[in-house]
Amino acid sequence: MRVLVVEDEIRLAENVARSLRESAGYAVDVASDGQEGLFLAESNTYDVVLLDLMLPKLDGMELLGRIRQSGQRTPVLVLTARDDKESVIALLNAGADDYLTKPFDLGELLARTKALIRRGKGQASPVVTIGDLELNTVNRTVQRGGKAITLTAMEYRVLEYLVHRPRAVVSKTELLEHLYDYNWEKFSNVIEVYISGLRRKLNEGSSRQLIRTLRGQGYMLQD
Amino acid sequence: MDSESKNVQPDSIQRRLIASVLLSQSILTVGLMVIGVIVTYWRLLSTLDVAMQAHATSVAVLVRYTDDGSGHVYFDNSLLPESIDPNHPDQFMVWADRTGYLTRSEDWPEGLQFQPGPSQHWNFSWAGVPYHGVRMSHVPVLDRPDNASVKPQTLTIVYASPTVRIRQQVKAALAAITAASLLMLGATTWLASWKIRRGLLPLQILARQASLVSTQSWKLQPPKEAEDIEELRPLTESMTQMLARLEYSFKQQREFVGNAAHELKTPVAVLKSTLQSLLQRPRSSEEYRAGLQASLEDLERLEQLLEWMLRLARAEQWAQNGQQRELEIIDINSTCEEAVGRIRSLAQSRNTSIHLATNGPVLFRADPEDLQLVWTNLLENAVRYSPEGSSVEVAVARAGEKAQITFQDHGAGISPSDLPRIFDRFYRGDRSRTRATGGFGLGLAIVKALVEAYGGSIAAESTPGEGTRMTVELPIPGRKSSATG
Repeated sequence: MRVLVVEDEIRLAENVARSLRESAGYAVDVASDGQEGLFLAESNTYDVVLLDLMLPKLDGMELLGRIRQSGQRTPVLVLTARDDKESVIALLNAGADDYLTKPFDLGELLARTKALIRRGKGQASPVVTIGDLELNTVNRTVQRGGKAITLTAMEYRVLEYLVHRPRAVVSKTELLEHLYDYNWEKFSNVIEVYISGLRRKLNEGSSRQLIRTLRGQGYMLQD
Repeated sequence: MDSESKNVQPDSIQRRLIASVLLSQSILTVGLMVIGVIVTYWRLLSTLDVAMQAHATSVAVLVRYTDDGSGHVYFDNSLLPESIDPNHPDQFMVWADRTGYLTRSEDWPEGLQFQPGPSQHWNFSWAGVPYHGVRMSHVPVLDRPDNASVKPQTLTIVYASPTVRIRQQVKAALAAITAASLLMLGATTWLASWKIRRGLLPLQILARQASLVSTQSWKLQPPKEAEDIEELRPLTESMTQMLARLEYSFKQQREFVGNAAHELKTPVAVLKSTLQSLLQRPRSSEEYRAGLQASLEDLERLEQLLEWMLRLARAEQWAQNGQQRELEIIDINSTCEEAVGRIRSLAQSRNTSIHLATNGPVLFRADPEDLQLVWTNLLENAVRYSPEGSSVEVAVARAGEKAQITFQDHGAGISPSDLPRIFDRFYRGDRSRTRATGGFGLGLAIVKALVEAYGGSIAAESTPGEGTRMTVELPIPGRKSSATG
């Protein structure tokens, strides 16, 4: 999953980004003003956007409006210092999906971010099951047929993304876009390494292949 | 005291007005009654007088001369006139000037001594019956004596008639007047109180409207009834004005609290997130150190913000209450020099030169720290918003009864949309730039409050792309001797 944090208070943005990377294993991009935020939001596909309202160059509300105008359905979590009814109503009506008032709790921020990603992918439960595969997004554990499977951080991120798009063809480019932040060099062959590692671990003691490869198109997770 | 005053009914304009109307109506009624009775009595009495004179004349007709040619007269009582009041007989007595006493009425009160005196009319009471009497002198005897040589006699007639009927009539008139007056009094009182109550209605409507005013809705809708009334117009006008002032200061206060809370929330959010992310998992001691260092910096910023807010609050309090400190007379030039010194290292780091132009000492009663704070703030802004390598000019001059201090920079200037708001608390034209400079948007608000606390004013002029000029004017009491240049 890839998250965009638009926040001009650089230290706050760094703390949020670090927390999302460490505790949720998300790829995080940080924009410190509205224009940069708009540029990143338009040039990449994010699974959730965390947006501060008072931003230099381009106001948060305006940025939100532009994102929604362009038809992006990415969930937006607004970080605001104002918690009066009027501004909350205004921001939700402008297309925000949720809001958190400053100073917020990082745990709550994480939980809300996860919930928004879940909803954005059409999921309700934090525990996603595909056949006998079970992925818990809260404590980041994977089971198959009741047996726990230990994955590396990157393998988990690949599987988490695939699990949220079941029975859909996911291209290597899409995976790269959602697993790496802006600063990473992206090599598509790295994905193949993770997929093969995943296949090996998921198929222990089971004959059914969960991840199918569609030549020239990408991967598909199915039961 | 309290329990006593609680029992006392509150004074009421309505009751007071009704009472005064009632009082004047009562005085009028009583006066009318008295006048009515007097006029009636007097009119009846004069009618009676006329009747009595007529009766006395008919008595005089009954006096005849004797046939013996002596010239004496006698009274022929065969044709006595009827009494004026048939129930109460009239009394009379007749004298002739030569013959003397002639006659008197049959039931002339025994023992009523009557001496003809100088008075024409008199009242008396006999056996419980009130009488009004009239005395007529020199009434000629109408009969002619047989002997033409006899000198004709004249008569003195006393005629009295009971006034019982008059009294009854006066009493009846009094009763009628009283009844009518009371009826009118009741009617006018009811009418007056109704009109007064109606007249005071706008006051009640106004009060009801005023009770609707709250911190949520400050608008007082003066009812049309109240606006049309001359006496209420100053009241509604001053109420509307007072509410407008209240609303303004209330809004300003609320805005300040809101802004302050917002400004405080951000550093707190940063601090909290830093500490929470430190605690999320075990860290190396370097990471902890870096986190603590960052937290300390955030705390210092928070502290700085609080310090600025307190300064602003203090300056605004002075501006409102007037400074009540013992102040010395200082030279404005020296405070400017001090401020330039404080900014010098910042200016040098930006390669900006500061020129201070003075023209003789300008003396002013102030705390030098306050003025230095004002100049430092203005200079810092000028230097920060100037491009590297440019210059900032400061000039101190006396213009009549004012000291004028100007700060001119050659920076990007302030956009016309921002210009009117730069003295607002927490206002920042471009957040990214002020954030980088660590500003809170309070500096100019503090400057303005301090300048106003000394009775001065500050104005900003700016041409985008050419620079900004800040002009501070401080009032100098007109003692020419103090400025010996």
